[in-house]
Amino acid sequence: MTQSPRKSSRRSISASFIARAGLMAALALIFSYIEAIIPYNPGIPGIKLGIANVVTVVALYKFGAKDAVAVSVIRVVLAGLLFNGLFGMLYALAGAAVSLTGMILLKKTGLFSVTGVSMAAGVLHNMGQLLVAAALIEDLRIFFYFPVLMFSGIAAGILVGIASALVLRSLR
Amino acid sequence: MCYNDANKVNNYMKQYIRKADIILFIVLVVTGLAVSAALTFSHGAAGTGSEVIIESGGDLYATYPLSEDRTVVVPSPKQRASDAPAADHSDEPFAQYDHYNVVVISGGSVSVTEASCKNQVCVKHSAISRSGESIVCLPNRLVVRIDSGSEEGGGYDSVTS
Repeated sequence: MTQSPRKSSRRSISASFIARAGLMAALALIFSYIEAIIPYNPGIPGIKLGIANVVTVVALYKFGAKDAVAVSVIRVVLAGLLFNGLFGMLYALAGAAVSLTGMILLKKTGLFSVTGVSMAAGVLHNMGQLLVAAALIEDLRIFFYFPVLMFSGIAAGILVGIASALVLRSLR
Repeated sequence: MCYNDANKVNNYMKQYIRKADIILFIVLVVTGLAVSAALTFSHGAAGTGSEVIIESGGDLYATYPLSEDRTVVVPSPKQRASDAPAADHSDEPFAQYDHYNVVVISGGSVSVTEASCKNQVCVKHSAISRSGESIVCLPNRLVVRIDSGSEEGGGYDSVTS
């Protein structure tokens, strides 16, 4: 009786999964770091390219949802502890949760290309953060940021999507 | 052969962009435009928490909520320095001042209706209603501006990083 759950958990988390997820999380963390040290400031908060998400998208398409979730969560938690602080980490986790859910669902429909899925993820990520910000600040005026975040999410998502599609093509 | 090539190109393109992508893109862009248009037109209602900040001679003179209608007479710093009655926040007659501006808050917008100065730039300035806008009267060293109110106003920047 006690053995069956242990067996199943051993089957679901294999050594190769851990190694793969660790490797990709490390790669994504480096991207986060590079993005954090690039001195560009668009002047409006919340606008970011999010190059690290290339790794998440590639993981989703190459290895599946579980890898993508693992890479994303590890990366966000570590980047939060290293660069962004705890508060930033909460926002990023909310954004990551919303955008991962959206990506997995959109990919399942089979209608969208990598670029389209990534574009949706970029928008959803920003919307998730906006919702958390609105809930924390308890002020709906923050929705003035909605259009800005929408368009920046579309642009960043498309760029990340094209980069991911190129990476996926050479990995094939 | 020819058909094969076309097929290949088609498949190649499909990795990058599909019809559903374009539809999604259009939907998102339209949503964004619609929301920004809605926000632009509803700025009056959205700005109910905003404050009117009146500065005179570089110092804060008074703040009032933008949502409440009122008329304020602001004596210039010169006027206040020379004896003159204490600054009043009421609608009292202001003939007693030689140097003053009359600021009117009405229906969610602010204007300067009267000024003692010669150039009347501030009086001719159109009414302001959005956060960040301001009316300035240089001769009387008056600045009237609208701020988004509560202290969170500047805090957004630090939270949505």
